[in-house]
Amino acid sequence: MRNFFLRQFDWVALNDRSYAFMFEKLGTEEVVSVDCETTGLNPHKDDIVTIAAVKIRGNKILTREAFRVSVNPEAVMPATSIKVHQIRKSDVAAERPIRKVLPALLRFIGNRPLVGYYIDFDVRMLNKDVFNMLNIGLQNPLIDVCDLYYSRKYGTAPPGTQLDLKFSSIQRDLELPVLQAHDAFNDAVSAAQMYVVLSDMARRGIRLKRSRDWSQPSMPLG
Amino acid sequence: MPQAFDAQNPPFDRLTHAEAAELRSQLDIGYWPPGETIIGVGQPAGYLHVVIKGSVEERDGEEVENILRFKDSFDARALVHGAAGASFVAAEETLCYLAPKDVVLDLIKRNPGFAAFFYSELSRKLTGYASGPEGSGGVEQVLRARVKEARLHAAFFIDAGATIAETGKAMSERDSNALFVRDGDRVGIVTGMNLSKAAVLMALPLTTPIRDITHFQIHSVDEDDFIFEALIKMTRHNKRRLAVTSGRTFVGILEDIDILGLVAGNSQLIPGRIDRARSVDDLELPARDIQAQVERLHKQGVKVEVIAEITSDLNRALFAKLYDLIAPASIKEAGCLIVMGSEGRGEQTVRTDQDNGLLLDRPVPAEDLAKFRVDFTAALEKFGFPPCPGNVMVRNPQWSQTVEDFNRQLKSWVLTPDEFSAMNLGIFYDAIAVTGRGELLETAKTALSELMRGESAYLARFAKAIDQFEDASAGMLTSLMATVGVASDAIHIKKSGTFPIVHGVRVISIDRNVHAASTMGRLDELGAQSILSDDMVRDLKSALSYLMEVRLRSQLTSIRTGRHEEEAIVRLSELSTRDRDLLREALKVVKKFKEIVRSRYHLAML
Repeated sequence: MRNFFLRQFDWVALNDRSYAFMFEKLGTEEVVSVDCETTGLNPHKDDIVTIAAVKIRGNKILTREAFRVSVNPEAVMPATSIKVHQIRKSDVAAERPIRKVLPALLRFIGNRPLVGYYIDFDVRMLNKDVFNMLNIGLQNPLIDVCDLYYSRKYGTAPPGTQLDLKFSSIQRDLELPVLQAHDAFNDAVSAAQMYVVLSDMARRGIRLKRSRDWSQPSMPLG
Repeated sequence: MPQAFDAQNPPFDRLTHAEAAELRSQLDIGYWPPGETIIGVGQPAGYLHVVIKGSVEERDGEEVENILRFKDSFDARALVHGAAGASFVAAEETLCYLAPKDVVLDLIKRNPGFAAFFYSELSRKLTGYASGPEGSGGVEQVLRARVKEARLHAAFFIDAGATIAETGKAMSERDSNALFVRDGDRVGIVTGMNLSKAAVLMALPLTTPIRDITHFQIHSVDEDDFIFEALIKMTRHNKRRLAVTSGRTFVGILEDIDILGLVAGNSQLIPGRIDRARSVDDLELPARDIQAQVERLHKQGVKVEVIAEITSDLNRALFAKLYDLIAPASIKEAGCLIVMGSEGRGEQTVRTDQDNGLLLDRPVPAEDLAKFRVDFTAALEKFGFPPCPGNVMVRNPQWSQTVEDFNRQLKSWVLTPDEFSAMNLGIFYDAIAVTGRGELLETAKTALSELMRGESAYLARFAKAIDQFEDASAGMLTSLMATVGVASDAIHIKKSGTFPIVHGVRVISIDRNVHAASTMGRLDELGAQSILSDDMVRDLKSALSYLMEVRLRSQLTSIRTGRHEEEAIVRLSELSTRDRDLLREALKVVKKFKEIVRSRYHLAML
């Protein structure tokens, strides 16, 4: 109920009616995997450097028509974050500022649910600029692959079970190919892969085994 | 995805950087839960699938023909011909890259090396030709050959008014399976298959004019076009034949099989070159080509027995020519050159040794013989035949002497109860005459049969050799131990696999006076004589064939890696699950057969 009213407020607050599609009912099975690389982890101070978004339609990850853009951030790029994503200030100096690229991103994702690894963070980063532009935040439902993984892996775990929700751990556990991390596109594709595998497991009621570490490798000759 | 997509993997390693980048930008990713069909049999495919994670079963009905894993791609046939030859079913949670059909077809059109892979997939030959550093040259070369260099079928014309019966007769007279049909200004092609379909399926009377069943929309290439252009036309139009033109006239018909003939290479050319050799040096190149084609044929998916047969034929032609070139008149008049062991049985593929000898019907001048012994063996060594570890070579006076002396030698081996003489007799039993006076070998073989016939005590001792190497186990324990690094997972494929079969069959063949030269032939005869059950014969043949295949693969690998001491070693950990299953089955058959031989010759009591 509360969400309904919040949405109504947003609907009133929306200052550009050409973005009314953000409020449309979900008409498609598509979702969009989104990842941003940023200058740091503080949404108040830091800015987005690159954004990638990949649509998932049914069982297909549409990497072919991915949305990929680099942004010229206003915030300073500290050395610590440059070390993580290896994008230097000079690499993005020629890029457009985020307000120029947002319209295209918003039209790309439309009203589709957003998928990501700690997707809240990416949305919070994006919302700073979405607010500036439209007076409201993103309306899309959010699907965090961490939650999907948690419920497949730890949903029935006894209290005190050691949790491991690291990106690379999920990747390893699902036996997904490890791409070069901290590239927005690769991370978005990886999250998309996690999403298709995990949501299929949920459909089929398959759980991931815990404590795989000490399980024997499967017998080659049975 | 783009960055992570590995273009180093065949067939994508055939693409240029620009082409690989183009392909990357066009990839999507698909996901299938276990049990879901990715492409059904007979269905077209919109994509070429490349496995990222999981595994995919290629199924023919209920039977799993192949398991595709990480980096494997499928299905060329569904892509190019619009219908998959098998069904492809996800065996686990499976992710695949999806390369759109039009993008792949476009690359096929532009890149002949890439196209070759697909063509080879389609013809179910030429598997994985790109794996080795050398060998891929053959295919490339062929693709850049001109159409007229292939063995074309000559163009024969027949009038469209001719009847089905007349056309069939014309085809059989000309030994041709396709004729050009002239109908006024139109020209078409009619094939034997068209005739059969008309007569059998459509039940048309044999007096029907062939005009009614001829295809007048023919696809043609010019005789100066490249072979790859012809390949592309065949794949694109799903045709097995193309008309070949020279300017505006039809000069012949090119069939897909002719192209394969070109790719399969020069094995048909080697005998000519051996024949034309005027000196020992002239023989060196064809001798090395014999070896090179083993790998090429193997990569083309030719069965190992066939490779062995081709190789043996060529080796024999080579030996005969060498003998002709270096044997002095005295030896030529009196001698017979024989090959033995695997070479005699026609089971040698990659050269592992040379087992050869010379029988003479009378003494020849000592200096002639001495020189021949040295020269013959040295020439073979120079051609790349390793010396025989057991010294079964012309160089060894034991193996090049008069028949009379040799028969005495045989007798002393029969009377000496050691493994060395048993092995010599075994090797000699496999002898065949290469050139010269074949009756000398017959004499010696008859002498051997008479020495051994009914000598059950001797046969038992001879049979005992199958026990000289202990059983290999590809069982659970071995592999479990291997996975935890306690035991070696290496299996000596010759000692534990091929040797017990070959030797066991040899013993029973001596016992039962079987004359076939090859192990497969001996098994057939033993089956026909009801000495072995039909099931056992069939199991042994398929086990031997599989073991030879695995051995050949490991030999080729050891040549590539230069680890020659490992040529007969197969590592379980390096085999696919399917291969491990097959190997385990084959070793089971070996074990069962050893039991049969043991009880037949009461080996337990020795």
